[in-house]
Amino acid sequence: MSQPNSYGNLTQEEIEILERQGCSSQDWSQVKVADGFNPARVRNVQFLGRVHVGRFTGGIKLAGGLEKPSGIYCATIVDCTIGDDVRISNVGVHIANYDIGPNACIENVGTMLTRPGATFGNGVKVAVLNEAGGREVTLFDELSAQFAYLMCMHRYRPELIEKLLEMAAKEVKKVRSDIGKVGAGAQICSTPEIIDVNVGPCSIIKAAASLVNGTVLSSVEAPSIIESNVVAEDFIIAESASVTGSAHLKKVFVGQGCQIGSQFSAENSLFFSNCEAFNGEACSVFAGPYTVTHHKSTLLIACLFSFYNAGSGTNQSNHMYKLGPVHEGKLERGTKAGSFSYMMWPCRVGPFSVVLGKHTRIFDTSDFPFGHLEAGPDGKCSMIPGLYLATAGTLRDAEKWPKRDRRRGAIKRDIISFDIFSPYTVGKMVRASSILSSLQDSTDRSVEEVSINGAEMKRVLLRTSQKFYRTSIEMYLLGKVLAKCEKALDGGIEEIRKAFAAEAGAVFSRDWVDIGGQLMPKQRLLDVTNSIEGGEITDFAAFCGEVAKIYQAFEKDEWAWVKETYKEFFGRALETLTKDDLVEAAESYRRAKIRFLKQVLIDAEKDFGGLSRTGFGQDGSAEDLDEDFRQVRGLYDENKFVKETRANIEAVECRVAEFKEKILAVL
Amino acid sequence: MDIEQRVRKVVARQLKLDEKEVKLESEFVRDLGAESIQSIELVACFEEEFDIEMDEQDALAVRTVGSAVEFIKKAIEERGGKTQ
Repeated sequence: MSQPNSYGNLTQEEIEILERQGCSSQDWSQVKVADGFNPARVRNVQFLGRVHVGRFTGGIKLAGGLEKPSGIYCATIVDCTIGDDVRISNVGVHIANYDIGPNACIENVGTMLTRPGATFGNGVKVAVLNEAGGREVTLFDELSAQFAYLMCMHRYRPELIEKLLEMAAKEVKKVRSDIGKVGAGAQICSTPEIIDVNVGPCSIIKAAASLVNGTVLSSVEAPSIIESNVVAEDFIIAESASVTGSAHLKKVFVGQGCQIGSQFSAENSLFFSNCEAFNGEACSVFAGPYTVTHHKSTLLIACLFSFYNAGSGTNQSNHMYKLGPVHEGKLERGTKAGSFSYMMWPCRVGPFSVVLGKHTRIFDTSDFPFGHLEAGPDGKCSMIPGLYLATAGTLRDAEKWPKRDRRRGAIKRDIISFDIFSPYTVGKMVRASSILSSLQDSTDRSVEEVSINGAEMKRVLLRTSQKFYRTSIEMYLLGKVLAKCEKALDGGIEEIRKAFAAEAGAVFSRDWVDIGGQLMPKQRLLDVTNSIEGGEITDFAAFCGEVAKIYQAFEKDEWAWVKETYKEFFGRALETLTKDDLVEAAESYRRAKIRFLKQVLIDAEKDFGGLSRTGFGQDGSAEDLDEDFRQVRGLYDENKFVKETRANIEAVECRVAEFKEKILAVL
Repeated sequence: MDIEQRVRKVVARQLKLDEKEVKLESEFVRDLGAESIQSIELVACFEEEFDIEMDEQDALAVRTVGSAVEFIKKAIEERGGKTQ
């Protein structure tokens, strides 16, 4: 932070003015002031120890258009450096061991103190996922979802973990200090206790109750807010985040763009980009990006989530009354839990699944994305894989997440892959189809249900689920091939075949992985982790550089996967496709995509159907019911999502028609 | 057993009803109480019982037991099979 260039001793005249204004010091020679210091703006201040004071010439602009003069009023200041045009007033106990940046405003605080050797929340070990320990993640200011994920989840590689711990320790060492920081432009008011907390520039801390051992990262472009009776201990709150409404945090990381409030309490938990947590509770949770819980009576415990939504009253158990709270859950990206759903750990759920009811049996449906998982009266999980593929909810999710990225500022620490359809999910669909097909072939028709990794499935639906997956697999693969063709079409068949080649540097893996919200080929993950173990990547910045490179390589890695998978799925290498084959591929894409979108429209229409109108037209007639519904919900044909989806269908028709016309003309 | 009888048998079994309650004019949702998952299972049962394909749009159009019978008869004929 910027400080005045030079400090000098107070003149005798300045000391006399200060003393007349109620100020005192045990040793005025320890109080240094900047050139242009104005003692008129320092009243009723006790100076203890070494204090450097900047110039006070301007004012501080506060909320509501209020402006107050800079200066120090009614405070005890101990061993601090105070920047230009800072305003400090009404300090109940003292501000001790702080470096306060220019234009900061600190009013009506009790104790602000930094103790020797403070690390400001850095170095805190958070017992994520396993409440009894074993997967601790070390907090540090710049922690990213990817780094935390590896430290938490890859415990089967002790050497890797050791190296990650060393990297984290280096980051912690950087911030260790006897002096805390309040950044330029920060505003702190009405907060009784701030101990060992670094406060970033332009952050707002207003009426918090207690902040101990933490860091509030913030910047001009991405300010953070802490308000209204928040109690936080052992924490890091990142830029653009807000923690308000009597939230209680203990050993918690709040990532960029997160919103936590309305009495939410969290312990030993990590919340990465754009999470939202209100009204409920979290314990030992790894909340990857866009994990959302809004409702009272909702407990998230001992689980890995991302792109998750918790219905009201959602609950889990990690304790079997045997050896402690040692059980863990993994809900892969996009999973949703219905109201009052319950899950008993350990369990693992495939991406974009919906969990309903009270599950008291252990199951693993990670191989079956977009599944319907409903608990029966006996607590067993009944599964319909792929049911949530062609649904309005899934498509709307795909559109909403990128739009809801609240991270401001240039630095976005978590790398987020938003794609609903990717080698990660489509790869799972391909494998799932194979598993379901084998089961269908090997199961007699007399059998009503089959069991798959602890979940039950109606035998008659084995074929149905394969159909669900097939439409999406075709749509994805053919769509990617069509896009490649379109770009190269002007160059003729040879140019198209060149375009089909894998790009230099692309990495193919049959399996893709989701590393804290970033999708990548498994080989890329192995390369990074091997480089860490091997000593090629030795610090956090280098790690971030590597994962950023992987993100930049996403499209070419994805294409390498599409190319191989197309060959396996359709039985033809792309390079062997003729003009007629490409026309047929485009036509197959059109059929698959339009089938998919029409299924989405059918799903959306259910929200306008007869049963959905139950209760409308209160006190009125049948006509009033329809009118009431129309006024409140609108008409199906006028719904924005419906109109966009229909437009999408038309666009697909036009796109394929143009492609066919062009390919026939060019080739 | 003709197609109508087979359809009524499948419906009764899936929705856990007495076959007598399953009439041609019965609507699956309104009269027989079929919920959305049960509707999906019914479609799967029809497909398996009669070796036909029914996509989502076909299923949406089939609201009654009678229309299911008609759809299945037509699908079998198109396949080249016999309906009785």
